[in-house]
Amino acid sequence: MKKYALLPFNFTRLSGKEVLINELGDMLISPIGTVQKIVDHTLDDEDLYKTLVANSFISEELLPTLLDIYASRLRLKKSFLDDRAALHIFVLTLRCNQNCVYCQASSREEGSAHCSMTFDMMEASVKLMFRSTSQHLTMEFQGGEPSLEPKLIKFGIEKAEEINQTECRNLSYVLCTNCRSLSDELLELCRQYHVLISTSLDGPSYIHNKNRGREDSYEKTMAGICKAREVLGNDAVSALMTTSELALGYPKEIVDEYVQDGFTDIFLRALNPYGLATENENWDLYNERFVEFYKTALDYIIEINKQGTFFREVYAAIILRKMLTPYTTGFVDLQSPAGTVNSVLIYNYDGYVYASDESRMLAENGDHTFRLGRISDKYEEIVYGEKVRKIGKVWANEALAGCSDCPVKAYCGADPVRHHSTQGDMYGFRPSSFVCKKNKAIIEHLISLIIEREDEVMPIFRSWLR
Amino acid sequence: MKEQFEIESNSNILFVTDQCNNHCVMCCQPPKQKDDFDYYFKKNVALIKSAPKETKVVCITGGEPTLAGDKIIELVRIVREELPDTDIQILSNGRSFRDYDFAHQLKDVGGEKIFVGVPLHSDYVGDHDKIAGSKGAFNETMLGLYNLADEGIATELRVVINKINYQRLPQMAEYIFKNLYFVSWVALMGMEDTGYATKNTNHIWVEPKDYTSQLCKAVDILDGWGIPVAIFNIPLCLLSPEYHHFAAQSISDWKTKYLEICNDCLLKEKCCGLFATSQKTYLGLKPFTQNV
Repeated sequence: MKKYALLPFNFTRLSGKEVLINELGDMLISPIGTVQKIVDHTLDDEDLYKTLVANSFISEELLPTLLDIYASRLRLKKSFLDDRAALHIFVLTLRCNQNCVYCQASSREEGSAHCSMTFDMMEASVKLMFRSTSQHLTMEFQGGEPSLEPKLIKFGIEKAEEINQTECRNLSYVLCTNCRSLSDELLELCRQYHVLISTSLDGPSYIHNKNRGREDSYEKTMAGICKAREVLGNDAVSALMTTSELALGYPKEIVDEYVQDGFTDIFLRALNPYGLATENENWDLYNERFVEFYKTALDYIIEINKQGTFFREVYAAIILRKMLTPYTTGFVDLQSPAGTVNSVLIYNYDGYVYASDESRMLAENGDHTFRLGRISDKYEEIVYGEKVRKIGKVWANEALAGCSDCPVKAYCGADPVRHHSTQGDMYGFRPSSFVCKKNKAIIEHLISLIIEREDEVMPIFRSWLR
Repeated sequence: MKEQFEIESNSNILFVTDQCNNHCVMCCQPPKQKDDFDYYFKKNVALIKSAPKETKVVCITGGEPTLAGDKIIELVRIVREELPDTDIQILSNGRSFRDYDFAHQLKDVGGEKIFVGVPLHSDYVGDHDKIAGSKGAFNETMLGLYNLADEGIATELRVVINKINYQRLPQMAEYIFKNLYFVSWVALMGMEDTGYATKNTNHIWVEPKDYTSQLCKAVDILDGWGIPVAIFNIPLCLLSPEYHHFAAQSISDWKTKYLEICNDCLLKEKCCGLFATSQKTYLGLKPFTQNV
């Protein structure tokens, strides 16, 4: 073995192995004791030595000739920062036609007044959106239930298309709806502008109806999904689930429901501590149970794939993309610097711009920490303003205590909003952070699967990332 | 080498030089230290001028053709001018393209229909340099590949499998996906047993039947990640049937040979056969007498 110098990496021990992870997120599974040998310069396994050099954990040169390739790859990993915000969420209204037990958005009765966006606000919001330099702009309509405001959706899309005549961006649209009241006119609008439907489906009827607070919710949602698929095509309709306490007991049943309904993926989402969801009595216990639920469901999903059915768990796929490929993801919750402001901006029905979807949910409980400015304010005042400067100090996990030396930081992200809401402090204290515990548990579980069942899981994981 | 181009041939070759800055241990065409750039340049220009306009592909090779510097840029310019629709394939060790501007000049004269085939011998710098017979070769080739990619020039990686590198083929496949994710495709190739390969046979020869497990694992990894991958120069009877669709008829038409036993094989038509130029034939060849 030649003389070598160390390059930066962190490590952890899992499943009887030492897992080394460098700044790019490249992971190397090696025998316990490898790091000690690297540090002591007593490596005795030639093949391992070659692998360490090839993957930039150590270098045979003090100033590596190929360090700029490392830099180029780091740039690719952080390329989500190149373009500023691509995701623009328009919260059209708080009005809703369901009473979900864990509502994260503090929705109001369908007939409530004064909780919808005005047409003027919509126009100003669309103009702000075009101030982002991103070539790709996604307008996502949320609520409450945005389909209760079809005229506002139409107005927003038409405004964007009009401005885009000269801007020439790649525009795409997403409508987040419970599918209860998708009218023919609204679906026709969706067809015309290729609007994707993102709906909520929590599992079989006995879970979905209980969560959604209506006896006919499952039936209505399924009918809406079918109707939307008929008009827009199967690929245009996707679904998200939220894991209520009830759902924790039914991992397989929920996955089965998604497979039967013809979906090719599922996003196993934990409850967020916003809105009604904060009344959940024991977060510690919930978190622990969620991780167990997640592992059971993921195992079951792997089985389904082994039987020859392509079916993907989206959260795992996001983490695996960071772990196993040279590429990055556009998922705003697992980014460093954080997705807040950098990747997403929220235009709320109340006339204000917020830093993230969660930020506007906090506002419903009177917490305006992440209100960046008025929709009528100048773009510069919003994205370079005092609030953003403050958030910006704590949005990179490379520079946060408890994150900077974390072995799996390359797969995780900083989440100032979540830490503010759960710990009353944007910086956050990692040893007792739920976000940290949950993400770490899931990331480490994925690494353990790769260590213990490589030949079985890797072909499946690769197929999820293609 | 042909004296005239044929439209459909896969071996319309423009031979640029016998010189090379690598001295690969398995080189089938050992380099010579003679200033031959002008001699071949004149010959090549004549070949291009007399070539049918419909010629599908020309291959610029050597030696290391980029050692000709300005002359290879000029040669590509003439090909592009005379044969505007012809694909230009350049076989190069890629080292010269560490010069960013040289890569740019190639793109400038070559346009869109140009690609460079570059041998990569290992993911570990020490092994690559050992096989290439030149210290610093790996680093320069890697920088060259990045510069070519930046110019939007398609690159093909060629891995000639030998005793020094076969055990790390799976690690190499992962390395390629992570660090050379932009390559257009990867060819994993059996060795031609001639030239240096014969001379160095004790150090470098390995029978394909002894590396098929590493080879197939590397194919699974590259294919799993969506990088097009092909197996070159390995007869079908040495591969299990689920890998047959990766195998290409890769040996130039003028140097393909089949054995006596191949006449009984049902897959002969689809098989690359063997190098007529090789000293050895592979061990374990066995005709397919039943459909697979």
